[in-house]
Amino acid sequence: MSAADVPLGQAADRSLAGRIADWFTPRIALARVAWLRTVLYLFVILDMHAFVRDTRLKGEHPGLYQPLLLARLLDLPKPSVANTTALYVVLIVACLVGATNYVPRIAGWIVAPAFTWWVLIGMSDGKVDHDHLALVIALWVLPTVKASRRGLASYGDQTRSEAAGWAIRCVQICLIATYFLSSIAKLRSAGWALTWPGSAVLTWAIVRRPHPVGEWLLHYPWMLHVMQWVGITAEFLSPVILWLKGRWQLLAALFFLGFHAANTAILLIHFLPTVVCWLAFAPMERLVPWFQARRIQRRSDRHAGQPEDQAEQSRETEQQPGA
Amino acid sequence: MTGVTDREQPGDIRLGRTGKTLRVLAAVAGIVLLINGSVRASDDAWPFGPMSQYAMSVPDDAKIDYIRISAVTDAGTTVDVPLNIEGAGVARAEIEARAGEIEKDPSLLQQVADGWAQKHPDQPKYVKLELIRDTTQLVKGRVEGPPASRVLATWEVRR
Repeated sequence: MSAADVPLGQAADRSLAGRIADWFTPRIALARVAWLRTVLYLFVILDMHAFVRDTRLKGEHPGLYQPLLLARLLDLPKPSVANTTALYVVLIVACLVGATNYVPRIAGWIVAPAFTWWVLIGMSDGKVDHDHLALVIALWVLPTVKASRRGLASYGDQTRSEAAGWAIRCVQICLIATYFLSSIAKLRSAGWALTWPGSAVLTWAIVRRPHPVGEWLLHYPWMLHVMQWVGITAEFLSPVILWLKGRWQLLAALFFLGFHAANTAILLIHFLPTVVCWLAFAPMERLVPWFQARRIQRRSDRHAGQPEDQAEQSRETEQQPGA
Repeated sequence: MTGVTDREQPGDIRLGRTGKTLRVLAAVAGIVLLINGSVRASDDAWPFGPMSQYAMSVPDDAKIDYIRISAVTDAGTTVDVPLNIEGAGVARAEIEARAGEIEKDPSLLQQVADGWAQKHPDQPKYVKLELIRDTTQLVKGRVEGPPASRVLATWEVRR
């Protein structure tokens, strides 16, 4: 359904639809997309070796293969040594090419379906992880953005584009959806009741994955309950982050990074494929101007005595990043 | 934030009407799929399924099951099979998810022995595998005593 279907008066209708459309397509500098491409395509290579790393093994032993809905809809072939090895080689090459930002769209349109298939095979054995939503969607939306500069020049490209904004917004939405929908799943599994935060779920998790931090916590069930309340509350409120700005958004991001650190310590679940997508919120387009400003300043410091407005300018720019 | 202000600037690359409409529709469709997945679908709908990891409410008097595979080797020792990619080439969660099937058809355990033998050719081979369920009892939300073990399936490994 399009935003234009919102039932309001004719004039208000158009402006509201326009405002909703603008929210989905903010103007964001193309440099952020360039950085995101490099980081995410390299992350995919890491992911294939560290996280969803059993895809080729499933090609060797397809006995436990149970295709998921998407694989059945597309009638994807059963994993074999041949097709998983081909997938591996294609992914590595396309990711390396995409990460350079030279032909990012062509490489991106290869990575997106290939990695989706890779993860689909990896999760077709009765167990599905929920940490890949934002990453997989990011790979599908990144190639929709047309770059105006190639290679190294793309990292500093301050040209703002609505297409870039849409791609970034999609990644942000999927990232936040991962948290928000986790709280919904907790309500649903209890028959739409709020019993999860007071239950013994963390105790259960620790008993099944014992380790020193967790076993110490088993003696203090009240602490586990506090964590459960904090977790589900934060997850439920997470959509607010989409409308936060500057410092507040940074604080929220840091809170969730802490949340993942705690999860890693207690449950040994790192969720890195989700964590890396927080970069969609980071104003990475400021990195190159910041670095250039520093260089100019250092140079002008060396030539001290020549009063330059350049140096002053650079000091101003320097105060921006990090916000 | 400089990057996201919507004040018009010369040089901004705008989307055409069609491009913008298609993108907004795609985003809304994706959100609808996600909500549908969370409200009614199962893991089968990946990537649009529910975010159900650790989503269940575990009662204070729950029995906590832990599935493992114990192996007798040709060196005469009994070991716990390392259920991960580097060990027997299969993750514990996968065995857990398929425990019912393995109970009905213990021959599925043959893969575990093959996986181990292939990855560790210089180590003792498995000759007999047992799928075991350890059950820990919770009392008022606390762990009560050591777990009780039950053998679910036994498989004599084929050479």
